[in-house]
Amino acid sequence: MDTKQARFLQLIEENKGILFKISKIYQDDPEDRSDLLQEMILQLWIAFDSYRAESKFSTWMYRVGLNTAIAFFRKQKRRPDSEKLPFGFDQAEEKTLAGEKEEQLAVFYKAVQHLNKVEKALVYLYMEDVPYDDIAASLGITPINVRVRLNRLKSKLKEIIKNMNYEYR
Amino acid sequence: MNIDDLKDTWKNDQPKGDNLNSKSAFCKKSGSPLSRIRRNMKSEFIAVLVSYACLIMLLFYGNQSAHYLNLANPVVNASIIVIFILFILNGFYFGRFFAFYRSFSQYDLNLKDSIRKITYELELNIEIYKTYNFCVTPLAVLVTFMLLCGTNGMHYVQKVLSTNTFESPLNLLIIFAVIIISFAVTYICINHHLRTQYGKYVAELKEIADDLGNEG
Repeated sequence: MDTKQARFLQLIEENKGILFKISKIYQDDPEDRSDLLQEMILQLWIAFDSYRAESKFSTWMYRVGLNTAIAFFRKQKRRPDSEKLPFGFDQAEEKTLAGEKEEQLAVFYKAVQHLNKVEKALVYLYMEDVPYDDIAASLGITPINVRVRLNRLKSKLKEIIKNMNYEYR
Repeated sequence: MNIDDLKDTWKNDQPKGDNLNSKSAFCKKSGSPLSRIRRNMKSEFIAVLVSYACLIMLLFYGNQSAHYLNLANPVVNASIIVIFILFILNGFYFGRFFAFYRSFSQYDLNLKDSIRKITYELELNIEIYKTYNFCVTPLAVLVTFMLLCGTNGMHYVQKVLSTNTFESPLNLLIIFAVIIISFAVTYICINHHLRTQYGKYVAELKEIADDLGNEG
């Protein structure tokens, strides 16, 4: 393995939470999530030469990751409709998710599946506490529009969660 | 629950265990629509090379094959000329595709620009692919017709060419009809293939680009 590849893999490992969260937001099905994860890593590797270290690696990573997730289309395959809550990536992780907050997070992930691809990107950036100006720069829209969209988005999520019979304050 | 209250839980939601198989991503094929077109193109290029090899073997095997297929010299010569035209067309289009794909891939733009770029590249590729097929398919059909029908087919063509068109235009009209039908069938098949393969991707990407573009 060459130095560049080793450095890349190390950076990916250090920031893998970003990719896991993006894949959880964009894909409900575990197999599709795994495909998306692999696709994001592949696209990050292809674009790695363009990373100039002027910004943090994590910032560059979520930008490439979100762009990949939005342009990603799941495979055409027949699968039974699943209503399982989108817990972790494997059974081991599912078992560790316990408690009220974790359950709420699982409900949140489920509710997010009802949003469109741009709204999902907004949710991710909002949950990561990315400043509005940076969200605007990442999406290519104005900061005012970020605010407007986020307000609409919160109302939409509230409705979705209420329809799932969960209390929303 | 409230999404603002969930932020801490969200931050603590880290992957557990060694689930991220980064190394295998290097060996994996990309599933993006553009990459799929690129792979299809590569397969087609290989198929074109194989078919050229077969045709060249068939034509240059000497008198034996010409005799076996009942091919007269005009048929062989006409086939060679059409194959040469096909060769130039294929070289031109595959050269363009190759140059295009080498310049492709910039995923670190902002979302709006990235989606616009992918949509544009996808649409451009589809159009070039249509033009390529529209040019090449009828000629490929013509070569196949000439080789399969052999001298009998050539007799008919010679008869049409030697007829006085103003006195009996029917034969020429039949040829025109066949040409129009072959182009129409090619066009319909290509469009159907591209619509079913990539149409929904383009439509969805356009929708996203419009959504972002409207309020940019």
